[in-house]
Amino acid sequence: MQPGTTISLHMSNVETIPGKVLVNSLGLVTGSTVRAKNIGKDIFAGLKNIVGGELKAYTELLNESRNEALQRMMLQAHSMGANAIVNVRFATSNVAAGASELFCYGTAVIVE
Amino acid sequence: MSGVGVGIIIALVSVVITFLFPTLSWALGRWYQGRLVRALNEQEKRTGKMLQSEHYLSTSSSMNAIGANGSTLLHVSICVGPSMGQMFFMWFKSLVGGRLASYDTVLDFGRREVLLRLKKQADEFGCSTIENIRIETSVISFAKNQKSKTSSVEFLAFATGIRQ
Repeated sequence: MQPGTTISLHMSNVETIPGKVLVNSLGLVTGSTVRAKNIGKDIFAGLKNIVGGELKAYTELLNESRNEALQRMMLQAHSMGANAIVNVRFATSNVAAGASELFCYGTAVIVE
Repeated sequence: MSGVGVGIIIALVSVVITFLFPTLSWALGRWYQGRLVRALNEQEKRTGKMLQSEHYLSTSSSMNAIGANGSTLLHVSICVGPSMGQMFFMWFKSLVGGRLASYDTVLDFGRREVLLRLKKQADEFGCSTIENIRIETSVISFAKNQKSKTSSVEFLAFATGIRQ
């Protein structure tokens, strides 16, 4: 598979894929990414901090990163031959000052 | 003018300068966040009308899976933070403890907003049921040093949307 290609599998955070029948379980798949903010976004966020409220730059940054982590997880599941991931969980942690890790994990399965 | 008078004036000016920016930031923050919360109230009313009847929200995992046509994973996140002025005055408040009203407001706003966006996303994907909703809170500090005043909290809501 080419790097950069996007794939999309069935995903859910419940035990099954609603509307489908679970055939085979293939095991754990994970995806993670560590992101740091860029200086431009930080300056804007700093300015936004004067009034508080939503920090859009950070929201976007985290959304992008989370999608990438999901994409990596899907890629791993795809390479195992799965066509769905159930019980997806997310975790966010501060690994270092200025960086944040977005992690997701789930169970790769085959559904029909 | 006597030396004492000059000293008093310098002391007063320095106190004013120290408190000027936090007060300004606090006032601006109160005004801005008040506006955000009012906008959110309006939207909640509107989407409430739009979604309440057809959307079924639940934190349980297998309520409406029977007869499902398709499903998708929904996830939304939002970063919110209090204003610098609020943080400044919060420090004073934390000397005596008790309820930190400004943090209350900001976090409450974030959590309601993230749920609203989850509903909107479900609508985009054509899902009529949202189940197994999980809301996670994490502190995001992109600050390189402790002195930086930027602080934010991330709310992540994820759920399974079901088309029926």
